Amino acid sequence: MILLNYIASFFLIVLGLYCIVVKYNLVKTVIGLSIMDYGVNLLIITIGFNPGGTAPIFTWGELNPESFFVDPIPQALTLTSIVIGACVTAMSLALVMKLEEQYNTIDTREIRRLRG
Amino acid sequence: MIIDALKYLAYVLVFPGFLFCFLTGLLLCGIDRKLVARMQKRVGPPILQPFYDFFKLCGKETIVPAAANRTVFLIAPLVGLAGLVVLQLFIPVFSFSAFSNVADVIVILYLLLIPALSIIIGGASTGSPYAGVGLSREMVTVLSCELPLVLVLLAVGKKVGAATGTGLCFSLTEIVRYQMANGSLLWRLSMIPAAVAFLLVIPGETGSHPFDAAEAETEICEGMLAEYSGAPLGVYKLSHAVKLLTMTSLFVMLFLGGIGGRLEALVYALGLTGGAAGALVMLLSVLVLFLLCVLLTAVAISLVHAVTARLKIEQIFKYYWTVVAALALLSLALAWYGL
Amino acid sequence: MNMLSLQHFPIYSIMVLFLGAFLIVMFGRNKVVRHAIALLATFASFFFMAALFRPVMLEGETIAYWMGGRVPAGGYAIGIALEVDALSLFFGLLVSCVVFIACIYSIQYMSHDDNVPQYYTLFLMLAGGVMGLVLSGDLFNMFIMVEILTFAAVALTAFRNTANGALEAAFKYLVVGCIGSTCILAGTIMLYAQVHTLNLAQMSALIPGNLSTATKAAFALLFIGFCTKAFLVPFHPLAADAHGAAPASISVLISGVLTKSGIYGLIRLSYFLFQSMALGTMQFWLVFLGSVSMFVCVTMALAQHDFKRLLAFHSISQIGYVLAAVGLCTAFGVSSGLYHAMNHTLFKGLLFLAAGAVLHETGTTDLDKLGGLSKKMPHTTVLFLVGAFSISGIPPFNGFASKWMIYQATYQKAVETGNIGFLLVTICALVTSTLTLASFVKVTQSVFFGQLPKEYENVKEVPFGMRLAMGILALMCLAGGLFPDAVTRYLTEPAARAVFSVTAYINSMMGQGYAQSAMAVQPAVPEMSFASAGVWSPISWLCLLMIALLAVTIVAIAGKYDRVSVRTPESLSGKYDLFYGGEETVYSQVGGDDLFWGFKHNWRHYFRFMHELHSGVVNDYALWAVVALALAVVYALIVL
Repeated sequence: MILLNYIASFFLIVLGLYCIVVKYNLVKTVIGLSIMDYGVNLLIITIGFNPGGTAPIFTWGELNPESFFVDPIPQALTLTSIVIGACVTAMSLALVMKLEEQYNTIDTREIRRLRG
Repeated sequence: MIIDALKYLAYVLVFPGFLFCFLTGLLLCGIDRKLVARMQKRVGPPILQPFYDFFKLCGKETIVPAAANRTVFLIAPLVGLAGLVVLQLFIPVFSFSAFSNVADVIVILYLLLIPALSIIIGGASTGSPYAGVGLSREMVTVLSCELPLVLVLLAVGKKVGAATGTGLCFSLTEIVRYQMANGSLLWRLSMIPAAVAFLLVIPGETGSHPFDAAEAETEICEGMLAEYSGAPLGVYKLSHAVKLLTMTSLFVMLFLGGIGGRLEALVYALGLTGGAAGALVMLLSVLVLFLLCVLLTAVAISLVHAVTARLKIEQIFKYYWTVVAALALLSLALAWYGL
Repeated sequence: MNMLSLQHFPIYSIMVLFLGAFLIVMFGRNKVVRHAIALLATFASFFFMAALFRPVMLEGETIAYWMGGRVPAGGYAIGIALEVDALSLFFGLLVSCVVFIACIYSIQYMSHDDNVPQYYTLFLMLAGGVMGLVLSGDLFNMFIMVEILTFAAVALTAFRNTANGALEAAFKYLVVGCIGSTCILAGTIMLYAQVHTLNLAQMSALIPGNLSTATKAAFALLFIGFCTKAFLVPFHPLAADAHGAAPASISVLISGVLTKSGIYGLIRLSYFLFQSMALGTMQFWLVFLGSVSMFVCVTMALAQHDFKRLLAFHSISQIGYVLAAVGLCTAFGVSSGLYHAMNHTLFKGLLFLAAGAVLHETGTTDLDKLGGLSKKMPHTTVLFLVGAFSISGIPPFNGFASKWMIYQATYQKAVETGNIGFLLVTICALVTSTLTLASFVKVTQSVFFGQLPKEYENVKEVPFGMRLAMGILALMCLAGGLFPDAVTRYLTEPAARAVFSVTAYINSMMGQGYAQSAMAVQPAVPEMSFASAGVWSPISWLCLLMIALLAVTIVAIAGKYDRVSVRTPESLSGKYDLFYGGEETVYSQVGGDDLFWGFKHNWRHYFRFMHELHSGVVNDYALWAVVALALAVVYALIVL
């Protein structure tokens, strides 16, 4: 179960990278970035997850060495990461729109005025 | 305190500063011209001709071109000359060194760029296209010489450092002192290629034949000097002459420093002591240094000048970065492995 | 001031910047209010950093600050922390100082643009992101700050979105930058999975003892992530694109501040978190990367014909020096590397501001179109020359002082270890310095000297505020070169000591004795030797030069040196007709691109290869990132 999660997350990361490297369409590049992000998010969640653990809601008195719960920190990290991922997508799509206006294309092979 | 200040002032103005540079530099230049002429079976100018030229130029009118930046145009030559004279202060005359703890060889390597920069900036400020071509060539020549020079200096630093047990030695005074005690570096197997490389760098650094593409009179009207006239031009000519002295005396101190030890031994063998001995050593040192500089000028500049034709700029670059750099690298490798 | 209030200064100095950003969104419509807020925020940030100078740099304290007072409980750091040791403070001071100067410059530089409030918001966000990164004591917060600064930098790159290539540059930067950020996040979380903490100090105590495959891979991920932030090879094309398109004041931040955050991250990562620098292989890795960046970028710069792109490549080349020196893992090497990092920020800032001044007045940075501006903009020319001499390592400016130390440090290392690789680094550094000079001669000739094109007849000098900002930087460049002893004693040596005192760093955060109990092997503190093999005292040299110059000038004036009786051929009534008769002055300027053909001709195959390699297609750059990542992972797994 957990192993599957790890495999899936790495698969997603690699898929995202593959998409960025191979696809010449700007929108697909943005999609690749998102997929990569989801992969990392899945990875974070998986690391924090303990099968059979309870929700990590305790007061000081209740906490004892036997309590078995899901690690809350990675979940907090994931939330941050998701927000950042959304920002990346929004910003890159805005850039893609502007680029299309200026270059009249969204093919990366033609958007290369800066080179050499 | 005041005595000290006066002493240092004398160093800067008289010896080994201005006056010394002025006299010896121009004299070397004159000797070089005479020698080249004799080698080419011409009569040649009198040996004092550079002095006459300098004073004549100083009496001429200075024209600032319309496109030029006046301040830069006039100041650049002065800075170049001053930089060169100060550089000469750091090169010891055997046991005597005016300012030993100010700069080491690496610093000297970069201080050598200042005169080149002054002529480049001065030339650029005129706005002349000849100057544009000239400065491009000058910069490439400087670049060409840089790699062999760097390698030579690193080789010497390593060699002396290993011999004195400090691992590394970049102080020129230390290098000379070591040679005075243990004999010149030139006679060490590992240093011979470096010395040859340095000899080959001298004409490049001073911009003389066949590496004078930057000032090629016949093609680009002396390049950066095309728009210069009068006293500023004279200052540039003087700087060029002083650079002869700088490069040759640097060679002497790097590779022939051991001669200073011989001189001292000679004087003490005569039974002299105290101030008289010191003065005699000093006098002999300067004399010997001058003679060696003349010799080096004759070998590295006049001879090469007389027998070669001007190279194209890309040939200069290729030559320095392959042949000369290989020699220097060989030396560095030998020094590295302790030979 | 007591220690208690000093404790809060790090968080203040981050907060004022973000607060300023927020306030500008709210009240930034009015010009005066906007400028006041921006200047106040940046100055306050600098002030708070400067106030920490005495306790941290001089007295060697480390300031640990726990947000909300959540100090570690039971040996576990749960709260979020800021930690300021001399290394952090060194970078913090540098960042806040340059941000303040860039802010002064922006006021007049951005006066013609639209949407200026947004500019300042993003500007302060970028500054705040970098400050947060260097002061943070928590790896995940470092990631957050990296994201903030990347975002702000991308948005600012695209700020002048009508300019040629701005959007394109921003998009490329965003894509590769995001790959880098994702690497950092993935690396962070993989480390978390191993040690269950995000606190830098605690991680530094726990990681070195139990290196597993996952931690090694995490190291590679973090390493590549911070490399993208420092734009090291193979990420250098992004820097060139971004700098070329961004407003000059932002280029200053990107090159002077953002790349430093990458370097800071690399130092924290390899000296603190993994303490792997004692390994020869790690030193090799860093030094190799530094040398390659140094050389590749300087040659790329030689082939450029846009002012700011050229500067951008130089920026990375200088970062290469920094990394190569820091990677030596000797006290002298680290100190000289940090010194160069500081100098790089100063002179590169100055150069970008000068480029901005040219752009502000002429509307272009194309080297082939410009020329002869020195008559129209004399002050800018002088300031630019100061920057150019500094970066090319001409005595007595600051670039020389630090480069000189780097040459010595690399050579010393070579002699000590007998490793010929370090010798090659020394040679590479020395030659690169001259190549740098060559390309700045090209800029000087193509922009400031040579002939003035007709369309720039009416160009004026830039406003005072912009010259003031450049002047401050130029003075700092000169001072940094003239007083190397003071700079090293008060700034870089404490920082270099901090780099090697990992135990103290851990203990001041986690409580005394934590490092001793948590770590099986105490990291050995190497012998702190800041001695150099050579001698160089710039003040004496300058005095001598002044005396010599004075003497020359007096003689020259006595010899009627400046007796300039004739200014132009045209003004003569026929005196020189013999030479000029019937000729008209023709505009003729040697193009910047052709200037060094003698050099380029010999290297033509290399240049053609490099030109084709930097294709400008974002997929290629992403591919380089992936390949670099793969290589880093493999290398880390093998050697760490």
